[in-house]
Amino acid sequence: MAETVRPEKGLSPFRKVRNLLLGSLTAIAFVLAVTPLLAIIYVAYDRGKSALSLSFITSLPAGFPVGIEGGILNGIVGSLILVVIASLFSVPIGIWAGLYLWDQSHTRMAKTTRLFSDLLLGVPSVIWGVVGFYVFSTNTGYGFHWGFSGLAAGLTLGFIMVPIVTRVTEQALHDVPMSYIEGALALGASRFQMVRGLAIPAAITGIGTGILLGVLNVLGQTAPLVFTNYYNTGIPHSLVGSNGSVGDLAMQIFIYIHEPSKELHVKAMAAALVLTVIVLLLDMGIRLLAWGSRKYAQKNG
Amino acid sequence: MDPASDTLVPKIVVKNFSAFYGSVQALHNVDFAICERKITAMIGPSGCGKSTFLRSLNRMNDFVPGFRVEGSVTLDGQELYAPSVNPVLIRQRVGMVFQKPNPFQMSIFENVAYGLRIQGVKSRSVLSDIVEKSLRAAALWDEVKDRLNGGAFSLSGGQQQRLCIARALAVEPEVILLDEPASALDPISTARIEELMQDLKDRYTIAIVTHNMQQAARVSDRTAFFLDGTLVEVNETTKIFTNPEDSRTEDYITGRFG
Ligand SMILES: Nc1ncnc2c1ncn2[C@@H]1O[C@H](COP(=O)(O)OP(=O)(O)O)[C@@H](O)[C@H]1O
Ligand SMILES: [Mg+2]
Repeated sequence: MAETVRPEKGLSPFRKVRNLLLGSLTAIAFVLAVTPLLAIIYVAYDRGKSALSLSFITSLPAGFPVGIEGGILNGIVGSLILVVIASLFSVPIGIWAGLYLWDQSHTRMAKTTRLFSDLLLGVPSVIWGVVGFYVFSTNTGYGFHWGFSGLAAGLTLGFIMVPIVTRVTEQALHDVPMSYIEGALALGASRFQMVRGLAIPAAITGIGTGILLGVLNVLGQTAPLVFTNYYNTGIPHSLVGSNGSVGDLAMQIFIYIHEPSKELHVKAMAAALVLTVIVLLLDMGIRLLAWGSRKYAQKNG
Repeated sequence: MDPASDTLVPKIVVKNFSAFYGSVQALHNVDFAICERKITAMIGPSGCGKSTFLRSLNRMNDFVPGFRVEGSVTLDGQELYAPSVNPVLIRQRVGMVFQKPNPFQMSIFENVAYGLRIQGVKSRSVLSDIVEKSLRAAALWDEVKDRLNGGAFSLSGGQQQRLCIARALAVEPEVILLDEPASALDPISTARIEELMQDLKDRYTIAIVTHNMQQAARVSDRTAFFLDGTLVEVNETTKIFTNPEDSRTEDYITGRFG
């Protein structure tokens, strides 16, 4: 048994000062980390509170200029559609690529793939938007000719998301201790069984974080939407073609702030608060899901 | 001890075996046999290739990039490194326990059941029986029988290591390889593991790497001394520790180096 050590007693004055100093640095770091978030919530709330009500999130924009009356349902629904399309595309590809890079990490092919994936991480989103325009949206020349549409924008955003999910998935798998992996292999698990039953469950929190980072990125993008979707004040009936545009919260904020209308500025800040809350809820949701699946894995293998 | 304990039946036979990490040769032309139902200890200074050798016996080094072998290793006469051999099946026959206890982040029950589950065993009653049998064989049953659904990380280090042994026993291997299984444990846990090995040797062939010479002397029937990637000498443990043939072995066991 180790004897109990009381840290405060009998410390030299130098040690005491140092402890105090390190303690206050930690406190300062905490404040620095928390302040921006609180500031965002405060400013958005303060500026947008007069527009906030339940109908703000359940009704479509109305009045003239459009949005002066009604709410932001078009943006909420549109953002959701874009996130779903982008995730359906990028999550399977990103996880698969991350697994591949982890499994084959030393091969030349994997090193090249990793290099390209990391380069893609740095491509400015406006460029993705322009390329997305030529590939998905434009009605002339080559490409899919989908017009300004949810599908064109969703897939463009999906392409932005893939390298994020790939990167974080690979990192999360590398963080699984080697001893853990060897333990399974030494019991006669095939590589596939080890990956599915142990490595992925052990990395699931990290993979979830990767997906979350990707989704949050998608939620905040406006540049790619300018070229592939623009904006819709209503609910779309189709995801491609001339009526295929969707609404989007970030675009809505961007457009409202640019209108010379005080009311729309208030609505923009109220929408900003809604977007922030959605982001925070998503964050907590993913954490809960990861926590739950880890509990499940512990119980059921 | 039964009268048959003096006859040596080779279980794993290693011939002219060399191992390489890329261009670095870690083992040089090792000739060696691990005999059935005996405890074989491998001793030698750190970095002499004990782990490399042990991990070559169940093809655990397959996962190390750039690792390659020359020569022959046979298990009951079957060539381990033949292209037609499935290493997964080898690892089911030759189990391994590592230096640091490495239980899975699962319940105690599921840790022991893991090897069976991956073989496709689903029946709860079959699993329960084997889990109990394995935990008893690993001398852990009495300590955990009331909390089989508790997490494996709630156990002490020594208990975790016995859990890892139970986990290895559950798939009914023929050979158990232990790589310094007690080096991270306190003396009492170490003693329990050593006792356990004596219990297990009636049914299993055991090979243990240890850098603790007293441990090798206490637990093993045969001892092999490695130095710089070569096998210097292998013989009955009493012979190695009282009357070694090679002067380097004598230097090592008398503590003149290493
Ligand atoms: N994964 C590896 N990659 C490259 N060299 C290795 C690796 N593992 C071990 N070695 C080298 O092989 C030699 C033998 O190591 P090892 O078998 O671990 O020795 P021991 O278990 O006796 O301490 C050492 O020189 C070590 O540096
Ligand atoms: Mg070693």
